[in-house]
Amino acid sequence: MARQPPYPARRQITPPAPSFLLPAPMPSPRDTLLARVTSALAPLPKRAPLPNWDNELVIMRQARGPVDAWTFFAERLKAVNGTPLASTTDLVATLTQGGWKHGYCDPALWDELRPAFDAAGGFNVETTFDRARIDDYQFCITAATAGIAETGTLVLSDLDTSRRLAALSPWVHVAVLRRAQIHIDVPAAIAALPQDPNVIWCTGPSKTADVEGILIEGVHGPGIQIALLLG
Amino acid sequence: MSHAESALITSPNRPAGNRVQLMATCLCDAFYDDVAKATVEVLEHLGCSVEFPEGQTCCGQPAFNGGDWDSSRRVVRHTVKVFSGDLPVIVPSGSCAAMIFHGAPLEFEKEPDAAEIAALGNRTWELADFIVNGLGIKKWPGRYAAKIAFHRSCHSRGTCSGPASLTLLSSIAGLEVVPFGEGEQCCGFGGTFSVSFPNVSAGMGHLKLDHIRAIQPDVLVSGDMSCMMHLGGLAEKEGKPIKTQHVVQILRDALKNA
Amino acid sequence: MALQQIDQFSAKLRPETRASVYDGSKKGHEKRTSVLFDHYPDPDHLRRLAGNIKQHVVENLDTLLPAAAAALERNGVKVHWASTAEEANAAVLAIMRARNATKMVKAKTMVSEETHLADYLGKNGVECVETDLGEFIIQIDGDHPSHIVKPIIHKNRRDIATSFEKNGLGAYNDDPQTITRRARAHLRKKYLEADVGLTGANFVTTDTGRLVLVTNEGNSRFCLAATPCHIAMVGIEKLLPRETDLGLYLNLLARSGTGQQLTVYTEFISGPRSATQPDGPEEMHVIFVDNGRTDALASDCREILRCIRCGACLNVCPVYRQASGHAYRSVYPGPVGAVLSPLLAGERFPELADLPKASSLCGACNEVCPVNIPIPDLLLRLRNRGKQEGSKAAAAGTPPMGAWSLLASQPFVWKTSLLAGNSLNYIPKSLIPVPPMQTWLRDRTLPAWRGGAFRKWLANRPTPPAAK
Repeated sequence: MARQPPYPARRQITPPAPSFLLPAPMPSPRDTLLARVTSALAPLPKRAPLPNWDNELVIMRQARGPVDAWTFFAERLKAVNGTPLASTTDLVATLTQGGWKHGYCDPALWDELRPAFDAAGGFNVETTFDRARIDDYQFCITAATAGIAETGTLVLSDLDTSRRLAALSPWVHVAVLRRAQIHIDVPAAIAALPQDPNVIWCTGPSKTADVEGILIEGVHGPGIQIALLLG
Repeated sequence: MSHAESALITSPNRPAGNRVQLMATCLCDAFYDDVAKATVEVLEHLGCSVEFPEGQTCCGQPAFNGGDWDSSRRVVRHTVKVFSGDLPVIVPSGSCAAMIFHGAPLEFEKEPDAAEIAALGNRTWELADFIVNGLGIKKWPGRYAAKIAFHRSCHSRGTCSGPASLTLLSSIAGLEVVPFGEGEQCCGFGGTFSVSFPNVSAGMGHLKLDHIRAIQPDVLVSGDMSCMMHLGGLAEKEGKPIKTQHVVQILRDALKNA
Repeated sequence: MALQQIDQFSAKLRPETRASVYDGSKKGHEKRTSVLFDHYPDPDHLRRLAGNIKQHVVENLDTLLPAAAAALERNGVKVHWASTAEEANAAVLAIMRARNATKMVKAKTMVSEETHLADYLGKNGVECVETDLGEFIIQIDGDHPSHIVKPIIHKNRRDIATSFEKNGLGAYNDDPQTITRRARAHLRKKYLEADVGLTGANFVTTDTGRLVLVTNEGNSRFCLAATPCHIAMVGIEKLLPRETDLGLYLNLLARSGTGQQLTVYTEFISGPRSATQPDGPEEMHVIFVDNGRTDALASDCREILRCIRCGACLNVCPVYRQASGHAYRSVYPGPVGAVLSPLLAGERFPELADLPKASSLCGACNEVCPVNIPIPDLLLRLRNRGKQEGSKAAAAGTPPMGAWSLLASQPFVWKTSLLAGNSLNYIPKSLIPVPPMQTWLRDRTLPAWRGGAFRKWLANRPTPPAAK
């Protein structure tokens, strides 16, 4: 069935017909748009000022007072159905329990993690990621850039994530986080946004409530989001 | 009001005192004389002398809401003329009061007499707001034995009227205010909205009635008779009438048991 | 006197649809309220602050837009400008043609709904696949979104299972989990095959040139992890003056829209992928789209351009809940749509001038708006404009007020009418030939007329006690 718009499309703005006597150059699309903005604002006698504000305002009350960064982070991550783990042994146990044995690991992390996997045995972990076989990887392990405790958020960035696809396409994504990387609140994480063309905050597993408002996890991204604390 | 903040903010320095003008509202003039009477009696009980400017008609809201601002402004100009002077103007309706202190200034933004219009708004009070915040009365004497559903009318959103009504009602001996579901939702009246959107309006009203009936109140109370006319009318048409009262009728009747 | 179109639409709505819309909206509103008030002592203060910052943006677009474009360009983004829907669509197609691209995956963007991008690209030989689950279902159904953040709020699982079956996505199964898994499997192929990923933007920071996207499903991330070219269509009002302002808006947006602290994915994109990153776009384009926004900017309703598209006003709106989003005949439904859609319609304003009438002016929308837009005031201004422009759509069902205003400005006539009205009590109301009254009486009774009774009481009572 064709998608027929039930509502009117907007009218077209016709540029004035060019005069043959005074051939003016066509204004650029940028100039045309900005000229419309300028003329729309021209009648305003004054412009609304830009208020300053204090970060304190947006720190949720639960994040106030002394908190242990990892404990608080873990509690908030669980609140969004994420999985905080504090050791490689726990990680291997979790993967084993889920039956997730085939995965990918960022080569820069593998030396640190390998002993626990070897000890458990039965894992097939690749350190190169083949985009042609994305559904082969049941779990992928990549490095986090930071964490945000009050929201249970993992911060990933291009510079630290070995593969964007590896952090997104498997059913289980494991982000390796260090205690010193955890920000307590959102304003702190904004202030420390990495100078990186792509930063992504992941707060729990991928989810939707599009169908009757029922929560379903693992829509396009991971159904299980693990934060692994190492050091 | 180039970047108006909240929709309904009352002037912080409105005059209060024991001489007041009463704006009875067209609904009381036509249907609810007892509400206007109760307003006079309650204000006099509080030691106020009440002037009733004879020439008053309507606040101008029906045409304002309908988009016919030329017609509305004609009525507002008349109202401003009738309520001359500097006494507090007391209105037993959150909706009409908001028309005077918020709606009228909006439609007069570009008019030469905007300042006169705003001046009336700066001395206009919804009744419960006046009693609690103008006269400083937080506790109401007497007794009224009933379980009450209080409908916070929409025009008291963002004003002090809703909390003021609740302060007074909850302080009355024997009276119990019971909250009901989706209390923040509109009853569906909306003036001409109720006749230009009859299906949506009735749907909203029936939903409100369902919530109210679920708590089985003795009386449904509001600071706006327009909401009461709508909800009462819907309930009666269904053959399941519900007793409706204005806050001020409860206050007056409580005094009878003082 | 014909009825208003939205009211007629509501009267004919399937009861199941009304129930879906009502339940979804009510849940959304309740979640929003409990989360905001649980986390913050004074959310209203945050809403006012966020409104004031956005108002600054709106009123300073003439300087902020060039600044934002410069920041994006510094980050390696190619910036395009489109005054109309046609120009915006053409810009997208030109970028694709330059890359010999024929396949697009698209994350949810309201601007592309405005410009009917998918239809346009389809006609020009480009396959354009919606990847948000709701939008995907809308696309395979040939339907239209009915909510800004919950596009299929009007559908139930049985509707969806039926369309999946019809479109070859497996035998009928209305389990939401199964529906989601099937979409996951189908769409991952589309991401990997696509040449271009298209998104909108929730915010663009003017100082640092970061484009911020919020989603829950991860579809926009997939578009940006799997395709070599990223195009973002961005309304010109999406700017924030400072990167630090994100701390305020991100905290308000998800809480207001879906009752979450943050959406699952919040992406900060400031250019093509870094040299060390194997996945993601090597090329990034931002198209700044006007499409009527400068008309809104020039109007006395420019506050509507503060909107951050959270959908909280839809969720709380009693009219939206009764009528559903499709009743609004436009991309943006609900209270925000009732203001924005007629403004964006340009000279076709009168056709949509009935939308601002679809409100009891209860003010609930203003009370929940994270940028504190005084929506009722804007609805009123647009009603006045509709009246001045003689819109027939707006006038439908509205009682004429001219005669009433004459009556209400002459005390003698007023008082006479009050008394004359008492005759109403002696004739059957069903015989009174006043259309609004008959409409009223269909569902309601009228109280007895007591015209002049209060004035009579006041005049005849004993002298009241003197004021203390």
